[in-house]
Amino acid sequence: MIDVRLTRRIRAALRSGARGARERPLVFALAVATMAGGLLVLGTYMLVVANLRGVLARAGADLRLVAFTDFGASTPAAQVGALEARMRAQDGVAELEYVAPDEALARLRTDLGPDAGVLDGLDHNPLPGAFEIAPPRDVRDPAQLRALADRIRALPGVTEVRWGEPWVEGYARVVRIAEWLGAGLGAFLLFVLGAIVASTVRLSLHARADEIQIQRLVGAGGWFVRLPFCLEGALQGMLAALLALAVLRGLFALGLPLLGDALAWVLGGQPAIFFGAAESAALIGLGVLLGLGGTLASLVNLDERA
Amino acid sequence: MIQMYHVDLRYAGGTYGLRDVSLVLERGDFVFLTGASGAGKTSLLRLLFGAEKPSAGQILVAGRNITRLPAAQIPHLRRQIGVIFQDFKLLTERSVFENVAIALEIAGASRSEIRTRVWSMLKRLGLGHRIDHKPRMLSGGEQQRVAIARALVNDPPLLLADEPTGNLDPALALDIMDIIADAHARGTTVVVATHDPALLERYRHRRVVLDGGRLVSERSPDEYSGGLRQLGATRA
Repeated sequence: MIDVRLTRRIRAALRSGARGARERPLVFALAVATMAGGLLVLGTYMLVVANLRGVLARAGADLRLVAFTDFGASTPAAQVGALEARMRAQDGVAELEYVAPDEALARLRTDLGPDAGVLDGLDHNPLPGAFEIAPPRDVRDPAQLRALADRIRALPGVTEVRWGEPWVEGYARVVRIAEWLGAGLGAFLLFVLGAIVASTVRLSLHARADEIQIQRLVGAGGWFVRLPFCLEGALQGMLAALLALAVLRGLFALGLPLLGDALAWVLGGQPAIFFGAAESAALIGLGVLLGLGGTLASLVNLDERA
Repeated sequence: MIQMYHVDLRYAGGTYGLRDVSLVLERGDFVFLTGASGAGKTSLLRLLFGAEKPSAGQILVAGRNITRLPAAQIPHLRRQIGVIFQDFKLLTERSVFENVAIALEIAGASRSEIRTRVWSMLKRLGLGHRIDHKPRMLSGGEQQRVAIARALVNDPPLLLADEPTGNLDPALALDIMDIIADAHARGTTVVVATHDPALLERYRHRRVVLDGGRLVSERSPDEYSGGLRQLGATRA
């Protein structure tokens, strides 16, 4: 059963906190602005990492492994069919298509366009038959792709397997480094912001020292004093995150046309993406935790001060 | 109501606020703590409402041994005690009503109960017309009455007053003491720290004299009733 007196005390503590925030709007606004600045830096970095990961994911969607064979135009269909069956039996092969030497030459002619005439002098088709293999959509990690390529390469009749390994691995490495840097930067920023929030709360504590002393003298428990500060800190964190998101969205909209070609090159021609609902909620949650954590850190020794 | 046994209060640095103080107050008693400045009156009161912890000895308030009371229980103790300070300790940015209501809010009273009791208490102390005023708009005597209202609005069984008339002129001091005496008449146990001889002579209650942190003498009303009667007749 809910203790009526306890709920009344909680309401009184909340009123006390709201009144405190109203009486010190400058300190409140300063805390929100400071946190918003830090979250903006962190959010910008998160956005960059999210876009780099997006490029990798989209590149992965079109990813094909090409297994070259020693098959020529005269290789019997049964031999081709037998290798195709063995490839389909491999774990990690979702789709498979055989490109015969004649078709490969026709594609090359198309790709060369006006320069296709260089192929006219050939006395025979030098291109081997090849299999184009699409891995399942959930298999995009370079290590998984390399393992699949190794298994295909080991099959009799396969001479070489290509899958854009240097590009995929290099990009994945960049994204990984960016994520680690982001985690480090995030931890550092959170620590700095937490310390700033704690200092701001200490300012509030100092400004409200008389009120807290009187509350304690007339029988306020520790939580009665702490609760308003905690709620104020959480509210500041939430408002700061919303402000940071709004500014980030504005900068995103304004900055995209200015960055133009440079951004298109980095993102491989893909459009830049902004945070979805989940990422936005995560940033807001981070802001709330930041405000709450900083507040709690500054209230640890409250009993001794009050 | 209060039992103190061989209580010491030693501060960091080795100086003593109180030394070997033993004292018993029954429920409904009215006691003056007296002595020169620095005698230990405030230290003794601070021990009683849990602002200090004794270095030695035992203190029981309303049957609870507060020397062994966990810190989390101190607020419960304080809700049973009204405390009045010489410097009033009012919230300057809050109204008279809010200053008094804070004690009831912390006790978890309903809003209607708070309205009724605060209004009734302020009216009883002659502050009905000051309910929305800020403390800085009030005279010293009125501010002290607000502080008394806050201390009494919960009907605490124990009232502690630390030099409650120290900042007031003699006429206002008697007004304040009359209010405290009225609370005593309603059954509240009262401890008043004062070094004002006029008050001690005017009010006929037990006196506990402190000197250098030690309890040096106790006098019951009977021991000086003649003099008090004379002073009482003069004022009447």
